Formats: sequence, structure tokens, C-alpha cells
Amino acid sequence: MKDTETRCRDEQEILEGLKQAVLNFEPDEAVEMAKKAIDDGIDPSEAIEKGVGRALSIVGKKYEEGELFIIHLAAAGEAGSRAINEVLKPEIEKRGDKAPSRGKIVIGTVSGDIHEIGKTIVSAMLLANGFEVIDLGKDVPVDTFVDKVRHESPHILGLSALLSTTIPIQRDVIEALKKEGLRDKVKVMVGGAPVTDEWAKEIGADAYGTDAIDAVNKAKSLVEAS
Amino acid sequence: MSNVVNRGPKGNQLRLLSREEVEAVHNAALDVLKDTGIDCYSDKILGIFEEAGADVDREKRRVRIPEHLIDEAINKAPSKILFCGRDSKNDILLEGSRVYYGFGGTPTPLILDHRTDEFRRPGKKDMIETTLVGDALSNMDFMMTNAGVFDVPYEAEYLHEFEILLNYTQKPILYSAPSAYLAEKYLEMGAIVAGSLKELQRRPFIALYTEPASPLMLTKSQENLIGFAKANIPIAIAPMPLSGGTAPGTVMGSCVVGTSETLAAITLIQLVNPHAPVIYGGWGLTMDPRSGMCAYGSPEFAMGANAIMAQMARFYNLPSYGFGGCADGKLPGPQSGAEVMMNALVAGQSGVNLIHDCGYLAGGMVGSIEQAVIANEIVGMAKRIIQGVRVDDDHLAVDVIREVGPGGNFVTQKHTREHVGEFLLSELFDRNSFGTWQSGGAKDTRTVAKERIEKILKQHKPEPLGQEIRERLSEVVKEGERELTTKQRKAEG
Repeated sequence: MKDTETRCRDEQEILEGLKQAVLNFEPDEAVEMAKKAIDDGIDPSEAIEKGVGRALSIVGKKYEEGELFIIHLAAAGEAGSRAINEVLKPEIEKRGDKAPSRGKIVIGTVSGDIHEIGKTIVSAMLLANGFEVIDLGKDVPVDTFVDKVRHESPHILGLSALLSTTIPIQRDVIEALKKEGLRDKVKVMVGGAPVTDEWAKEIGADAYGTDAIDAVNKAKSLVEAS
Repeated sequence: MSNVVNRGPKGNQLRLLSREEVEAVHNAALDVLKDTGIDCYSDKILGIFEEAGADVDREKRRVRIPEHLIDEAINKAPSKILFCGRDSKNDILLEGSRVYYGFGGTPTPLILDHRTDEFRRPGKKDMIETTLVGDALSNMDFMMTNAGVFDVPYEAEYLHEFEILLNYTQKPILYSAPSAYLAEKYLEMGAIVAGSLKELQRRPFIALYTEPASPLMLTKSQENLIGFAKANIPIAIAPMPLSGGTAPGTVMGSCVVGTSETLAAITLIQLVNPHAPVIYGGWGLTMDPRSGMCAYGSPEFAMGANAIMAQMARFYNLPSYGFGGCADGKLPGPQSGAEVMMNALVAGQSGVNLIHDCGYLAGGMVGSIEQAVIANEIVGMAKRIIQGVRVDDDHLAVDVIREVGPGGNFVTQKHTREHVGEFLLSELFDRNSFGTWQSGGAKDTRTVAKERIEKILKQHKPEPLGQEIRERLSEVVKEGERELTTKQRKAEG
């Protein structure tokens, strides 16, 4: 039987290990450390916050300072989200608890567009920052977005598009939400290389994320304001 | 009609790969296509590969292409293409290492308005002005765009853009048509202008730009190449693998992905119609690892999109397609000027046949005629370097040196006057004395470029199409717009 002090130290070490795994961009190791945390009796919500979350906020800060790049952000995001999705979140659900959530986001790349690298990075960063994320993938039909808004009642709907031929679909989704009387039930965020602030305003989106970090910050403020 | 063909200067000076290394890239691409394969999001295209004996997994949509199919395709594709202008004085001959530069690329979401210095979404009027400027610029040998038409229903954007190109330029037109339907409409419109499909085939003044999706995907929009292949109208194949994003994080890894995707599309085209003309654009492009953006102005991009690509195209004996005159800089100025000089010169010295994107700013987000006018000047300098110098007795000029002797001058020599044509005069850049520049208003390059645009718009009048042809084109666009918008509305229920 471990004494409290040893226990505390072990806990610290495991959480630090999880954090380091994410900081080292090692998804397999992150999953292992998350399992170890559960085996050791660490609360999974605490592991998300103190392991994954802290690592990601360090990575995000270094990215903003230009020390780390988008490729590091994406890799850390992947490591963090795998630990959450494969171990920590299922454990929380198994216990019948609800994962602490900053807010719920439905996100996807609009129909006709199969480019999803950017969207996937945003998804991972949102998840790692404590959002509940439903990622619908790529080439998502307008109706699917509308249905998900109706049935999942997310705080935010995120629409990604890379092509100048597909960004108009972002407007189509917003129009479809209006038609179904759902527009005031959800905040809409848009993103993608051809998207500009001007475009976001023109189509009546609530926010536009210039990159993954900006998207997370905008999502936080949208949820806080609602 | 004149029979003069614009035979571009031959740029074959820059070679980065040894013959062995070229073969290594080819072998790597063969491995990728045979072992990994490509995914195909079109049943039609899957069917074509299946029928030809490729290894097709219908359920996973995966196609693995054996070496012999690729070899046969490369051998069947023609090694040269006469890419015509509506006016034959603009014809260009794509062969070997002859170099031609193109105005713009695919439609840009924004333009830099040269009158107000604002970035804004372009409309029909902007694309007309843009096209007129491109048509007038002497170093622009073929046409794409530096704007887009976003004040029409979005489903019909490309139809309106293509109509403007047909109406406002007499140079060869290379354009994208991201669906089989649009491609068919382009052929229909091209045939109207030519008089018949047969006339269009005889003198193809349009070509299709098709873009497989990286990594290793042919999407439904690649069905666009079936119609063009059947009609024997040239197709430029140009995927966008980005190092570290949609391709491995090395220049050569990106080149292998681009080579594989392009070979897959060439194979498909030759299966649809043996000997159909293709233009090779097996690019290995660059993602800026920090921002995640496609880095048009980076040195690695210049190498992967041009030098290495051109060597592969030469190895396959196919006309080639690359990038030059494009910038990541957001405004005309030091950054964009340096980037344009670098990629325009590298592309030219690599002997790329079609060098596109002149005038692009912000990595293709912004089209700018002001920047295009500046790029046109820089391209002139690049072309001049590619042409090189002549070394013979007359040019070594020992006799003239003897005649003038020590302490004399060469200013008044007949020899000097006779050879003044060897020197490219600047049209835009200022090489006057400081005093002359100052008393001429001390204008910066951007101001001069803007003045040049206004002059072009006032003076340049390309031969208009006949009224009947114009009306028929506009009918096709109107009908197409109706069909496309109803189709879209139906799809939305």
C-alpha cells in the first residue's frame, strides 16, 4: 500500500509523462500514459486537464511565438486527441460521468470538398482544449450539417472549405439553417484558405478562425458570450 | 492568316538531377502506383482502369496501376503540341525546352484593386479588365486569370469566366473546369468560336487544366478530362502535393507524389483516347511548415515545380507545365518582386513549356493586374537571360576595338548602333539617371504600373468575336447557368 506522499508523487509523474508524450508528439506513448493514469487511479478528467490540456497550451503558446510550426501543432493535437478519444473519454463514460466540456462543436468540410487537413487540426485543438467535438469529416452534405444541428444541439457549427468553388456552400449551410429555423440555435464559424473576414461577414457567419489557435480562441469567446 | 509560330526561347540550362536521379524518381512513382495505388472517387474512372487490366478494388475505390500501362501511356502521348491563339500570331509551340509564360492561374477569391488599393472580391467587370490587360502584355504568351467572377450564381462562375476569356483575348487559353459538365460546355463554346469541333481540333486555342487531389486521389471532377481526351484537345495535369501536408515532408517526396498522380492521370487519358495530347505538371510543391500555407515564393517550390518537374517531363518526352511570376507577398513590392524574379528565372532556365501564375499575390489568394504588369517586366528579363549571348567574331568585336583603340569611345560606332537590339530595354523599371527620374515626378514602380494599366485599358482592343458568335456563347452560358442552378437546388431538395 502506497502512502499518500508516494501516491501523489506517482500521480505527478504520470501526468507529467502524459504531458511530455504530447509535447514530444508521440501519440502511442500518450495513449500508454493515459492508460497508466487510469490504472493508477487518476481521475480521467484531471488527466485531460493537467496532462493533455497543459501540454497543448504550451504548444499553442510556442506556435504563436513562432518557435513551433503548424506541423508541430497538428502532431501534438493528434497525440492529445488520441489519448482523450481512445482512453480518457471512454473511461469517463464508463463511469457514467459526463466529460467536463467547454462546449459542443459540430465540424466538417463542406460538400464537394475533400480537403480536411486544416479542419482536422482545428478539431484536434478544440478537443484538446476541452470542447466536445463531433467531426463529420469531409464532403459533408448541407442536410447533414442541418440534421446534426437539430439533433445534437451544438453550441457551435464549424464549416471548412478550401476551394473557391466550395466556400459558397458555407453560405448555403447558413441559409439552410435559417430556412429550418435553426440559425439562432447555433453559432456558425467558418474557416479555410480562401475565407476572409469580409466573406464571413457577407454570409452572416459569427466568426472566422485564421488558424487553429485563433479558431480555438474564437470558439471559447463564442461559447462564453452565449 | 500568317504562318508565323512563336517559337519560344529554349531554356535548358538548369538541371538539378542526374540521369540516375531522374530514373530514381520515375521508379519511385512506379512503386507508388503499383503498391500503394490511387483512390478514385468516380465509378466511371474506376471502370476505365478496370477494363484496361489495372488492379481495381471497387469497394475501397483503390486502383493499382501496373508498369506496362504507364509505359504505354507515356509512349502514346504526343511529344509536342501547337497551342494556338484565336489569332494565329499568338500560336505557341510546346516542345523540348521552349519557354512560355502565362497570365494568372485559376480564379482568385480576391483582387487587389489598382484604383483604390483595396483587396476585394472580383466580379465580371474586373475579370474583363484583367483579361484585357493580360492580352496586351507582350511577355504573356498564354492566358489564365488574375480575377474571378463572383457576382453571378456560384454554380455558373466558371462558365462566365470562360466566356470572358473567349471574348477578350486572342492568346491561347488554359483553364480549369472542375466538372465533366463544365468541360463539355467549354468544348461546345470553343467549337462555336472555331466554327466547328473539327476546326477547334485543327487549331486548339483552349486547353483544360485538371487537378488530381493530393495525396493520390482522382475525384469526380477528373471526369472533366474524359471529354477533352475524346475530343483530342490538350489537357494539362497538375496536382498540388504539398510537402509535409499532402505529401511527405521532403522536396523529393513531394515530387514522387506529384509524379505518381500525374502519371495516373496520363494513363487514364491515354486509355480514354490513345495519343490524346497531355501536358505534364508532375509538381512537387511546398507547404510552409510554419504557417501550413502553400509557399509559392519559396526556393524549394521553384525547384519542385519547375527544375525537377521539367527534367521528368523531358525524360517522358512530354510538354511541361510549371509556375513562375507568382508570389507569397501580399502587395507588389520587395518581397513579391524578389519571389517573382526567382521563380520566373528558375522556371525559364529549367525549360518549362508553360509557366503559369504570373500576377498572383498572397499565394494565389489575390490576383493583381498591377503585379502582373510588374511580373511581365521581370519575365522579359528572364526570357532575355534564357536567350543567352552570341559568341562570334562580330560579337567579340576585335576589329572595332582595334579601330577605336585605347582612350577612344564606342558610342558613335556603327557597330554599336547595329547591335543595340542585343539589349533588352526596360518598359517599366527605371534605368534613367537620378536627375531624370526626379524631374519626371520621382514615381515609384507601382505608380508607373498603374499608369500602364490605364493606358492599356484605354488603347488595347483585341479583335472582337462576331456578333452571332458572341450571342451564341452567351446563350450557352445562360442555358448552362439555368441547368446548373436547378441541379444544385434539386440536390438541396
